[in-house]
Amino acid sequence: MTEAVQNVSQPQIEVENLNLWYGEKQALKNISMQIPRNSVTALIGPSGCGKSTFIRCLNRMNDLIKNCRIEGKVSIEGKDIYGPDVDVVELRKKVGMVFQKPNPFPMSIYDNVAYGPRIHGANRKDLDGIVEKALRSAAIWEETSDRLKSSALSLSGGQQQRLCIARTLAVNPRTILFDEPTSALDPISTSRIEDLIMNLKKDYTIVIVTHNMQQAARISDYTGFFLMGELIEFGQTRQIFHNPQERSTEDYITGRFG
Amino acid sequence: MVRERYLKQLDLLKESVLSLGEMVELVFRDSMTSVIDLDIKLAEKTIALEPEVDKLEEDIEASVFDLLALQQPMASDLRLVVSTLKISADLRRIAGLSINIAKIPGRMEGGHVKPLTDTKRMADIAAFMLENSLRAFETQDVKLAKTAAAMDEEVDKLFYAVWVELIEMMAKDTSIISRATNLLFLIRYLERIADHCCNICESVVYLATAERIKLN
Repeated sequence: MTEAVQNVSQPQIEVENLNLWYGEKQALKNISMQIPRNSVTALIGPSGCGKSTFIRCLNRMNDLIKNCRIEGKVSIEGKDIYGPDVDVVELRKKVGMVFQKPNPFPMSIYDNVAYGPRIHGANRKDLDGIVEKALRSAAIWEETSDRLKSSALSLSGGQQQRLCIARTLAVNPRTILFDEPTSALDPISTSRIEDLIMNLKKDYTIVIVTHNMQQAARISDYTGFFLMGELIEFGQTRQIFHNPQERSTEDYITGRFG
Repeated sequence: MVRERYLKQLDLLKESVLSLGEMVELVFRDSMTSVIDLDIKLAEKTIALEPEVDKLEEDIEASVFDLLALQQPMASDLRLVVSTLKISADLRRIAGLSINIAKIPGRMEGGHVKPLTDTKRMADIAAFMLENSLRAFETQDVKLAKTAAAMDEEVDKLFYAVWVELIEMMAKDTSIISRATNLLFLIRYLERIADHCCNICESVVYLATAERIKLN
């Protein structure tokens, strides 16, 4: 395996020899990678290659799955997130996640965004400011500022997804994981989310799983290619799409299998 | 195997460049024969091939645009598509310069002002460069591409030697200026053809390695 991204001076996420089993089946095999801070890292690979399983290790979402066993080390900002003293709720506040299907809560736009800060104990008089800031950062303030009390379910799919991003931003995460965030959206909504992701990297570290290779090429700084539970190649996106070092990466991105 | 139609299109694109290359080799060879022998008939026949070369190059360009717009090639496929576009443009220019060469016999009443020994040598090297740059493209042979491009130095040396010689001849005998100038054009065209062969070799290196280097 080539490891083009090595010795990153300030990695946001460091993964060392990560192995994961669902019962008897090994889904991740000895993954090591260093994800640089304030960058967009895209994970690509055919269905079932382990990329979503991997991203779910980064905020311990796999803890919720029965029979799931993990070995190896995942550190975020230098701290082992599988260590005994880790508060998982606190971890998921710092490592936010946006899913494939927009999943707003059945409540108002305002309450969707305020939900996280409220349960984390935000002061009531600060909430308006927090909600506005998050909606602005998620590029949906203009469209929602005059109807904050309307149901979030009245928004279009693309707006709902940006609302979910706003909801994630409202609790001040440092890292945001996106699991195929645009696969249910039309091209215009997709490009708005892509622009948004590229803007967000100023303040956040972003890891995105995508089946859309052009999307990975367009928006990411680094790309990792997964195949059958292994990280085959990880490098600068330019290099991966221009001149991959591994035959299977080349075959996948040129559409020779997949 | 998936994307069969796409892979066939890529193969076809590569074959088209090689066909264009063969045609350009023919145009170049015949244009040189026509100027050496001052064979106006052969020159006219050669000049008549220009639209065919242009059409082939335009078809390649159209295929490249289609592939880029509809198939979004990546990695080595992208490099093939981009190199193809550049190589076919270089080949078209070589054909254009060869056509210029074929126009010289019609202006050479009175024969050559000197034996064409060095000029023939330039043409032989350029033909060798063209042939090998195309073979290097076909087989993605970086070493061959670099060897072919390295011959450009000798073409340049011969160009300057013949240039100086012709200027001196014209200074001594002004009656030959018109014919000698045609010969100056000829060596200039040959020198340019060799440069385009170097460009092709650079495209081959890029295609095979993703490295962009200068070879002349």
